[in-house]
Amino acid sequence: MNARKEIFAKPERCTACMSCVIACGVEHSKGKSLFAACTEKPAPRSRIYIEWTAPERKTPILCRHCEDAPCMHACIVGAITQGDDGVVTTDNDRCIGCWTCVMVCPYGVIGRHAELKKSYRCDRCPGREVPACVSSCPTGALVFGSVEEFSKGSRRNAAEEFAKGERK
Amino acid sequence: MSATTRHVIVGGSAAGMAAAQAIAETDPGASITVFSDEKVRPYFRPMIPYVISGTKQLDELLLEGRGPYRAGGIDVRLDSPVEAVDTAHRTVRAGGESHPYDRLLLATGSRARVPRDLAGAGAEGVYTLRYYSDAQGMAARCTTAKRAVMAGGGLLNLKATFALRERGVDVTLVVSSPAILSQLMEPEDSALLREAILAAGVKIVAGTSVKGVLSGKDGVTGVALDGGKELPCDLVCIGKGVEPIVDYLVGSGIALERGIVVDRHCETSAPGVFAAGDVGVTHNPITGEPVVTGLWTNAAEMGRCAGRNMAGARTAYSGTFGILNATQIGTLPFVSMGIVHTGAGGYETHVASAPGQYRKVVFSPDGARLVGAIFIGSIERAGLYRYIIRESRPIAKIKDKMLSHTLHYGDLMPSSPRHASTGTGG
Repeated sequence: MNARKEIFAKPERCTACMSCVIACGVEHSKGKSLFAACTEKPAPRSRIYIEWTAPERKTPILCRHCEDAPCMHACIVGAITQGDDGVVTTDNDRCIGCWTCVMVCPYGVIGRHAELKKSYRCDRCPGREVPACVSSCPTGALVFGSVEEFSKGSRRNAAEEFAKGERK
Repeated sequence: MSATTRHVIVGGSAAGMAAAQAIAETDPGASITVFSDEKVRPYFRPMIPYVISGTKQLDELLLEGRGPYRAGGIDVRLDSPVEAVDTAHRTVRAGGESHPYDRLLLATGSRARVPRDLAGAGAEGVYTLRYYSDAQGMAARCTTAKRAVMAGGGLLNLKATFALRERGVDVTLVVSSPAILSQLMEPEDSALLREAILAAGVKIVAGTSVKGVLSGKDGVTGVALDGGKELPCDLVCIGKGVEPIVDYLVGSGIALERGIVVDRHCETSAPGVFAAGDVGVTHNPITGEPVVTGLWTNAAEMGRCAGRNMAGARTAYSGTFGILNATQIGTLPFVSMGIVHTGAGGYETHVASAPGQYRKVVFSPDGARLVGAIFIGSIERAGLYRYIIRESRPIAKIKDKMLSHTLHYGDLMPSSPRHASTGTGG
């Protein structure tokens, strides 16, 4: 398997500052600036969600670009495809706004753009080396890398925590 | 599986083509032949209302090369209806010839059901909307037709209704049930959708049915209703549901019961013969009961599962609900899934409504499991509910959030943040 990159979230580092939400909205605006994004009609949509779970966990949630994506197979017009890089993409021109993808996404991360009558979701920021949400995250709660890199990082962190404990 | 395995698929729509794609992915060397009874290449059937409205052409409907349907090497033979299956000799007769198979998929789909007692249904200008050719016929009729009567208030007829409105045709829906969409919801659930339909200038006549079609030299001139009343019109569309196409299997020895009986791996009673889509009898994961559906999404999913099994990758099909529908009517999106006809079932049912919005969440009688939901107006995160119903997830901790429509995926994750990374694929 090549090093296919994913966006990983570390809920324990998320402070719900919403930087990612704003950055995503700006990236998906026509003007690509905060000011332009705020005044654009229809308003650009952010595709990342910060959800709160009791008692105090904040979790960034976004499209996981599933292998064998249910949305892609369910789409009744063939508007959803998965590229060789693993990114699942909705072809806006083909989307008819039937919302079948919204109905089958087990993560609830496909949005409904009512004005355009099109569905939308994370597109991994085509053209950017690092997705806007990851670039904007000030706490390292969002990480862009391969599964291997991410789990290696987690193991290293665990080892450091463990070593800290040992030193005490 | 060896490169010489001969996979034969009868039926070139959702289930057949999803299976062909899955076989090609799983066993790239396999020989895959699809026999379709249609004269045009496989297409996305749910798009045919756009042919009526004239907003899309055939090439925009075609399936190959779109969505997940990208595998090459699938030999699709058109205008080749299946005639018979000989399981003893492992051959299938299609398009007038006999073809040997190692693995066979029966994916012949369903046909529109026309009530037997509907007199005059053979008249010119009377349609069922099933095939591309039906939509073409309706589109042609629209050049002169001014008034249409839709017999049946199901989803397909509603889609056709909106397409006809785009062509400037006056439409009257004649619904034998007390309300529209009776297969997908109860009368009180569909009030908002009814308003949206009326707002589009469509008339609804409920609680009566079309008894006969009246015609003259140019075809349809009207319909006679149950109570004796007549409605003049020059186009009739019959949308009274579908029935599986299994006639060619009579005498084949393959077990039938409404549709084709299959096991959890989509295999029929005959070894090496599989079935998927509208013809296959699958199971409802909530009740365990057998279910036959007529939905593209279900057919594609089951076809994919059948294809994997045919290519030697054992995969169990997790079944589906008979109701699993999403669409938009006018400006109103809606989703209906699982058990939503609560009637006398003793279900714990919660209904909430606001201007332009309606929600119905149905739990098992003991309140411990989610079994169905209807969302109208606001359908966000509906997929979470489908997942919870299908997997029969425990809901004690999230029930309040379901009722307040604040449920999100974070609520379904393990509570330890150490295991809560949300980015691991699949």
